[in-house]
Amino acid sequence: MRHELIFSGIGGQGVMLIGELLCSTAVKEGYTVTFAPSYGQEKRGGRTMCQIVVSGEMGSPVISAADLLMVMDEKSLVEYEHLVKEQGYIIINSSLISIEPTRKDVQIIKVPINDLAQEVGNAKTANMIALGAVLQFLNFVDKEQVKTKVVDQFPPSKAHLVEINQKAIEVGFAYAASTK
Amino acid sequence: MGEKVFMQGNAALAESAIRAGCRFFFGYPITPSSELPEYYAAKAPQENLVFVQAETEVAAFNMIAGVASTGKRVMTGTSGPGFSLGMEAMSYMSAAGLPAVVVNVMRPGPADGDILAAQGDYFQAVKGGGHGDYNIIVLAPYSVQETADLTVKAFELAFKYRNPVVILSDAMLAKMMESLELPERITPNENYDWTMTGAKGRKHNVITTCGDGPIQWENYNLALQKKYKKIADNEQRWESYQVEDAEIIMVAFGSVARIALGAMKKARAEGMKVGIIRPITLWPFPQKAFVGLDQQDFFVTELNAGQMVEDVKLSVKDKERVSFYGRMGGMTPTPNELYEKLCELYRK
Repeated sequence: MRHELIFSGIGGQGVMLIGELLCSTAVKEGYTVTFAPSYGQEKRGGRTMCQIVVSGEMGSPVISAADLLMVMDEKSLVEYEHLVKEQGYIIINSSLISIEPTRKDVQIIKVPINDLAQEVGNAKTANMIALGAVLQFLNFVDKEQVKTKVVDQFPPSKAHLVEINQKAIEVGFAYAASTK
Repeated sequence: MGEKVFMQGNAALAESAIRAGCRFFFGYPITPSSELPEYYAAKAPQENLVFVQAETEVAAFNMIAGVASTGKRVMTGTSGPGFSLGMEAMSYMSAAGLPAVVVNVMRPGPADGDILAAQGDYFQAVKGGGHGDYNIIVLAPYSVQETADLTVKAFELAFKYRNPVVILSDAMLAKMMESLELPERITPNENYDWTMTGAKGRKHNVITTCGDGPIQWENYNLALQKKYKKIADNEQRWESYQVEDAEIIMVAFGSVARIALGAMKKARAEGMKVGIIRPITLWPFPQKAFVGLDQQDFFVTELNAGQMVEDVKLSVKDKERVSFYGRMGGMTPTPNELYEKLCELYRK
């Protein structure tokens, strides 16, 4: 068993955080997990991308053919769509991406990530909407386990934000289900 | 072994050093190594550590020389530009026989370059970037687990041979998060007969970096060479994967070895007989790994212009059988990219 995922976006969108969250959940489930982040020199606005490999054994942290690519912005789509395997998934943030992918041999799921976050009531939960949508297509971790792990992401002073982030995961998950 | 955790390469390295009894860290922050000083600074109060953010890497490298001369475990961590500034101290610490551990988390050069993964500091670490006839033991991990294990080993080797040791990591390995078992906590021996700890009640010790005439200094150099030969004979480390029946053997170290493993797996699935030799010590280079492999082709792959190729050519019988493919500037090959290169070689 081997699952390869790529999440990509712009610095500040929280792409790394959801990658780490997913990975720490998978580790808890006993999988061998490699989380390989990559980002530019800019504090905000630069490219942030992470490659996630979940398997039973250690392998390459660099991905040739991902099972799933989640892109938050247009540039990420252009740069990484070639790294998805045939019949793999590309989850596109249709709130910010107006172009169409060139790939015709993959399954495209469009999710208005930022708009859904606004509806949930906090624009900053966009990354959790994205994570929820991703979870719809993964079979190695359970949504409820990930939601439990959200608690660890916030210090006690920000504990009031846990619930809305968990809700955002649900909203993203449900939206992705409706596209099937 | 200790507890199982999910940790970033740099954090695992710093935690393992603390567990290995390294209470002193001096450094100047530079991406992609900054989590090392950050970790030490954060843990300093509760772990009773000594942490100084030096004004430059030049100062930090000389600070570790000072602590190493007292027989205590000490470390600095930096990336290419800072490692270059430390070269003077590397030469001096080698001459003085100071057991300091230096981490170089490689990023692409020359100069500022970028902050992504690269291996262009191979020559500088392995062939000696400072002046004079000296060698540094260079350890190259390829996973977060091995980063932790080799950190413990680095201190052991440094004190065993009274020689500086470099841990050569790279931006990918350092930023990567993986699950690992942390090493056990130890209290190292800090009582040696050569240290600078005050001469009250004993003969005074001399640690020198300066010759007393050419005859004496040649003898000093000869003694160093004798030590280097002993290290080269005893400390070669590597891992071989499926070389027994291989027709092409990939040679790769650090994070690229991981990508090579991916390529090998794909090649094997297609019926191609491919193996890997992964050097773990870059100096001494594991020449012993190549003994008896006279009929194979060697395919070296690195994140540089082919710096390790020279050492591979010195280790094999037929230099013509060694080929190379690399990426630079922070670019990394995918497993499929290396697989395509293997196919080209295989067709020849």
